[in-house]
Amino acid sequence: MSGIYETPRPRINTSMLSQYVSRPVCFVGRVEKVHPTGKTFTLSDGEGKVASVELNDPLEEELSGVVEVVGMVTNKGALMASAYTMLHEEKGVAFDLELYNEALKVIHDFPQYYPFKVDTSG
Amino acid sequence: MKLSEGAIETLTMGGLYPEAVLQVLNIRKMDTATGLPRYRIMMNDGRHTMSYFMLSTQLNSLAEENRLEPNCVCLLKKSVTNVLKDGRRVVIILEIEVLKPASEVPGKLGEPTPFVEGQGGKAPQAAEPTPPVRPLQLQNGNEAAHRGPNREYGKKAPSAMPSTPGGSSKVVPIASLNPYQSKWTIRARVTNKSNIRTWSNSRGDGKLFSMEIVDESGEIRITGFNQEVDKFYGLIEVGKVFYISKGTLKIANKQYSSMKNDYEMTLNGESSVIPCDDACDLPVAHCDFVAISELETREKDSVLDVIGVCKSVDELTRLTTKASREVSKRTFNLMDMSGRTVSVTLWGEEAENFDGSGQPIVAIKGAKLSDFGGRSLSASFSSTVMINPDIPEAFKLRGWYDKEGHAVEGQSLTELRGGGGGGGANTNWKTLSDVKTEHLGHGDKADYFSSIATIVYLRKENCLYQACPSADCNKKVVDQQNGMYRCEKCDKEFPNYKYRLILSANIADYGDNQWVTCFQESAEAILGQNAAYLGQLKDSNEAAFDEVFQQANFHTFVFRSRVKLETYNDESRIKATVMDVKPVDHKEYSKRLIMNIRKMAV
Repeated sequence: MSGIYETPRPRINTSMLSQYVSRPVCFVGRVEKVHPTGKTFTLSDGEGKVASVELNDPLEEELSGVVEVVGMVTNKGALMASAYTMLHEEKGVAFDLELYNEALKVIHDFPQYYPFKVDTSG
Repeated sequence: MKLSEGAIETLTMGGLYPEAVLQVLNIRKMDTATGLPRYRIMMNDGRHTMSYFMLSTQLNSLAEENRLEPNCVCLLKKSVTNVLKDGRRVVIILEIEVLKPASEVPGKLGEPTPFVEGQGGKAPQAAEPTPPVRPLQLQNGNEAAHRGPNREYGKKAPSAMPSTPGGSSKVVPIASLNPYQSKWTIRARVTNKSNIRTWSNSRGDGKLFSMEIVDESGEIRITGFNQEVDKFYGLIEVGKVFYISKGTLKIANKQYSSMKNDYEMTLNGESSVIPCDDACDLPVAHCDFVAISELETREKDSVLDVIGVCKSVDELTRLTTKASREVSKRTFNLMDMSGRTVSVTLWGEEAENFDGSGQPIVAIKGAKLSDFGGRSLSASFSSTVMINPDIPEAFKLRGWYDKEGHAVEGQSLTELRGGGGGGGANTNWKTLSDVKTEHLGHGDKADYFSSIATIVYLRKENCLYQACPSADCNKKVVDQQNGMYRCEKCDKEFPNYKYRLILSANIADYGDNQWVTCFQESAEAILGQNAAYLGQLKDSNEAAFDEVFQQANFHTFVFRSRVKLETYNDESRIKATVMDVKPVDHKEYSKRLIMNIRKMAV
C-alpha cells in the first residue's frame, strides 16, 4: 500500500468518486457515522454528500471532525483508505469544508492550470 | 387573426372579457391641463367599434413609441370601465400587448359598426350607478381566464366586492386614479407613514403628514393637512389596509416623492379612510428593485429600491448634527446576485433596532443614492426597511446566497473611508506590481491599497528614536548631553524619553516587492514586540535585539498602505506608508482568490 504515495492523488469530492474508480485519491470530509466494527465510516463532503470509507484494520482511536483520507476508489464508489489524518481546528478556526469544496472545483474546472495529472494507464 | 367579437359590448357595459383581442383603428392624442397627454383609442372587435378607450398614462410610451398604431391587433389584458358624469362609458386600458404590428395587418378587420349602448332602444340605465351591471370593475384577464367567468367575485378580485364602504363608488386600482374622476374608492396597504411635521411662516402655521400606499396595480403618496392630520393620523397604521375615497388628486412633485405614480393625493374634508380587515391578497410593498451593480449608472440623489443580503453590519454609532441633535447611525453592507456590495446607512430608530445577525435579506424601498465614497445608499425617513420580506425576490436571493453567494466576496461600490480598518468587503486589493503598473500615488491625492505580502527584509538601523514622553507628543527629542532631553514642540525639557518605532521594511508578493515605512503600531505588529521593550533590548542585549528581527522575517500579513509621490531635492519617488498590519484571514483570502479565478474565467 505504500505505492499510493508514489502517484498523484487528485483531491475529489463525493460526486467525482465514480470518475476515479480504481485510482488513488485524496478526500476531505466531515465524519458522519463510524461503524461499530470500526472498519468503515462515512464522511460528508462540502456539498453535504456522503461517501463511505473502508479500512483494512479497525480504528484504534475515536474519529470525529474533519478527516483527510488517502486511498483507492473501489468499484462500488467507496474509498479504500490507505491512511487518514484528522484535521484539527487551527487557532480556533474550524476547517471550512464548503470553501475547500469551492477550491476543489476550481482545480477540476481548470486542469490546464492545475496539472495534477493522473496517469490514465496506471 | 380572430378578433374577440362582442368584447366591446361586454367591456363597455362593465362586464368582464378576459384577454380580448382587439384592433386599434385610430389613436388620438389629447393634451391635458396637467401636461401629460392622454391617448384616446378607437377599437374594433370585428362586430363593433368604440372610440372611448383611453390609455392609462403609464402606458403612454406605447403610443409615443408607435408600438400602438392604427390597424395593429392587440390583447387587452387589464382594463377598467368608468362611467362619466354624462353617462358615457370609458374603458381605461391598464395593460395591453401588441399581438400583430400594424404593418402586418391589411386594414380594418371585419365589418364593424359603431357600438351604441342599449342597441334597439334607449339605454336602460338612466341613473347611475347602474344596478344590473356594475359600472366599474377591475378586470384581471389572467386570473379570470384561470378561474372562469363565474368566479369574478373571488377573493383575488376584491375590486368587484359589492359592499364597498364609504359610498356608492366601487373599488378601483390605484393605477387608474386621475384628477378627472372623483367617484372612486381604492383599497390599499399603507407601506410608509411619516411623522407629523409642522410649519410656521408668515402665512400662519400648520401641520401635515404623508403616507404611501400600494395595491396590485401601483402605489401613490397621500398627504393630509391640519384637520386631516387630527382625523386620520392615529388611524393609519403601516402594514394595514384601508379603503380610501374622495381624495384630491394632483400631479406628483417628484422632488418629494419616489413613488411610481404621476399623481399624488391630498386628503380633504370629504375624504374617508376606513380600515379593511380582509386584505392578505394585497402586496406588502410595491418595489422596483435596482441591481446593486447598476447603482453606478444611476444619478446621485436618485431614490430607488434595493434588495440584498446583509453581508456585514457595523456597530451603532452616535453623532451630533449641526443642530446639535444626537442621532444614531448604523452602516451595513448589502450584496445582491450581481456580486457587488454597497454600503447602506440607517439613521435613528431604524439604526438602533436593526438586527443584521444571521445575514438576513434586507429590502429598502426609497433609499437615496449618494456618491459619498464611490456609491452608497442612505435610508431616510421616507424609506421603508424590510427584513426578510415575504416576497419572491427575497426567497430567490436567500436561495442564491445560501448556495453560492456566501462564497462571493462581493466587490464594493463604496470605497473604504479614511482608515476604517484594513478588512471588510470594501478593500482596494492590489498586488505590489499593480501598485506600480497602475501608478498608484501619482495623482493629486494619496492612494490607499491593501495587499497580502511577506516581509523579506527589515532595516534595524535607526528603527527606534527617542521621542517626547508627553502623552500625545511623539516628537523626537534632542539629547542635551546633561541627562535632559528637549522637545522642540512642547518647548520643554524632560529627564526621560520614550522609544518609538519607525521601521523600514521590504515586503514582497509573487510579482514584485516594495519598500514601506511602518510606524509604531504597525511596526510592533510586525516585530511582535513593543517599542519600549525593543529599546531596552537594543541598549542591553544586541543579540536578542537582532533575533527579534530575524524572527520577524518571512511572515505574511495584510498590509493596508498609503502611497504618494513625494519630491525631495528635485527627486521624485513613491513613498509607501503602512497604515495597518493584520494577520491574513485565510478563509477570506481563499474566498477572494476563488472569486477572482471565477471572474477571470468568464
